[in-house]
Amino acid sequence: MSKLKKIVEDSKNQKMKVIDLSDRGIQNLNEVPGLMMLEHVTHLTMSHNKLAAVPPSIGELVNLEMLNLFNNHIEELPTSLSGLMKLKILNLGMNRLSHLPRGFGSFAKLEMLDLSYNNLSENSLPSNFFFMTTLRTLYLADNDFETFPANINKLQDMQVLSLRDNDLISLPKEVGELLKLKELHIQGNRLTVLPPELGNLELTGPNNVFKADRNPWVAPILEQFMLGNSHVFGYIRSDTYKYLHGRHIHAEPAPPPKKDDKAKKACRKPLHNKNK
Amino acid sequence: VSMTSQLSQASCIRCRGGFSSDEHMVNSNGEIYHEDCFVCAQCFQKFPEGLFYEFEGVKYCEHDFHMLFAPCCGKCEEFIIGRVIKAMNNNWHPECFTCKLCNTPLADVGFVKNAGRSLCRPCHNREKALGLGKYVCNKCHSIIEEEPLRFKGDPYHPFHFNCDNCGKELTAEARELRGELYCLPCHDKQGIPICGACRRPIEERVVSAMGKHWHVEHFVCAQCEKPFLGQKHYEKNGHAYCELHYNQLFGDVCYHCNGVIDGDVVSALNKSWCVKHFQCTCCNTKLTLKNKFVEYDMKPVCRKCYEKFPLELKKRLKKAAESEKK
Ligand SMILES: [Zn+2]
Ligand SMILES: [Zn+2]
Ligand SMILES: [Zn+2]
Ligand SMILES: [Zn+2]
Ligand SMILES: [Zn+2]
Ligand SMILES: [Zn+2]
Ligand SMILES: [Zn+2]
Ligand SMILES: [Zn+2]
Repeated sequence: MSKLKKIVEDSKNQKMKVIDLSDRGIQNLNEVPGLMMLEHVTHLTMSHNKLAAVPPSIGELVNLEMLNLFNNHIEELPTSLSGLMKLKILNLGMNRLSHLPRGFGSFAKLEMLDLSYNNLSENSLPSNFFFMTTLRTLYLADNDFETFPANINKLQDMQVLSLRDNDLISLPKEVGELLKLKELHIQGNRLTVLPPELGNLELTGPNNVFKADRNPWVAPILEQFMLGNSHVFGYIRSDTYKYLHGRHIHAEPAPPPKKDDKAKKACRKPLHNKNK
Repeated sequence: VSMTSQLSQASCIRCRGGFSSDEHMVNSNGEIYHEDCFVCAQCFQKFPEGLFYEFEGVKYCEHDFHMLFAPCCGKCEEFIIGRVIKAMNNNWHPECFTCKLCNTPLADVGFVKNAGRSLCRPCHNREKALGLGKYVCNKCHSIIEEEPLRFKGDPYHPFHFNCDNCGKELTAEARELRGELYCLPCHDKQGIPICGACRRPIEERVVSAMGKHWHVEHFVCAQCEKPFLGQKHYEKNGHAYCELHYNQLFGDVCYHCNGVIDGDVVSALNKSWCVKHFQCTCCNTKLTLKNKFVEYDMKPVCRKCYEKFPLELKKRLKKAAESEKK
């Protein structure tokens, strides 16, 4: 513990803006006294610890631009988190979040948000989630979304959207309005068709990423995937496809069943060694 | 007006009747009246305070005289006593006959008819100049046929001024500087920077960039034309751009900081990074392309972090990578 205290002391004396507290077995931030008084800190990394909660005093670190809490045991976030007006990068990947606090979407400058590998679904998002119009990247891989809110079209600066390995049965057509989108990850879902509006986007260039395998695509789409992504985009832009898609939606087919390959997710298992 | 004692043979000039001994008579300039006959020819009332007006031998009280004979002012509609200005088919008090544009009294300076209006000469000239698309000199009030010289915002004939430094008569090329006028060579000798955009001297804050000087509000992005106002700008081919437009037009933008990459570019995972921003997304350790890193949703992850991933996830990711290759 004295090692943690020394890091805080050093940062205080030398006005260090970057603090790395990753992989130190921290279970509770009380173990790092004085941390929340380091107002000058701009980058704080606390990945690979055992934090179950983030205390409200995190809001005191008003100069934080990057906060990395990847791979902890976090179930609860304080509402004060979104009061960090300078925060641009927030990594909450690989935690145990099944909901987000009220008002979570009120970050003023957040550009990159990573919520991969949690237990989130469309019902976990607070109503102001899509107010974060500064977001450039949103990672939600390995969560439990079955549908995705049409409000995604409010996030007009979105460049990367990752929804890999969720339970999505459809993709909202509004994704086709994200004209700055460079990467779309939708592999490992229950998608059978793509909205024709996705054809508005250019996702097949050298600086783009379009990953869509491991979905139960209808046969005509699957055939195009065999030929390559550019064929898929050519196809969904065609009038033939628009017609087929309309008929498919109209028929209201039953969604494909859930796969259970995520059943063993670490964030779902109860914590046996949870202290205090 | 006076009253006299009786005069037996006298008779009233109005009713021709005589006067009894105890009757008052009124004498007005030698004409004698009964008191009751010395009245206004219009309203038959005595003259207030004995004051009357005479026109063609008939006497009227002030009110009726004005009603019948005095001219009315075309502006204030009051009677005009004293000097009447006859102009524009109407009568005016001298102080009421003014320029329709600037209200200068015109009685003594004369006027010009302009589109049914009476105008002073300067206003008339200005109106005429406007009609011709020209300016009127603020000093001599005549039309400026050539290029005007602007001084404190107003147009002038340049020849009314001399250079404050060398005394030469000025041309339209002259420049105003701190309230004085200078010919162009004398102006330039004073070392005042000239704005690279509007070519006018910069007297307030100077922005120096791209080998030129600029008014703060004239140093703008070549694409969106918004002034930088002290914000960072990016130069390319002799033009300045805001960050956004530089990026859109030429930039390698860093995935991490979203800024234009200064110096070397790390290209990996279909993205670009500043050298210092290419780091493990899980622990923020700096990476280089020589380090072994793992791709995780097209983000770089160092080996140490990847080892810590749940076994279940590593298995799925491995399987997914295999299915992707097929
Ligand atoms: Zn009268
Ligand atoms: Zn006038
Ligand atoms: Zn003049
Ligand atoms: Zn001169
Ligand atoms: Zn200028
Ligand atoms: Zn611009
Ligand atoms: Zn960068
Ligand atoms: Zn790492």
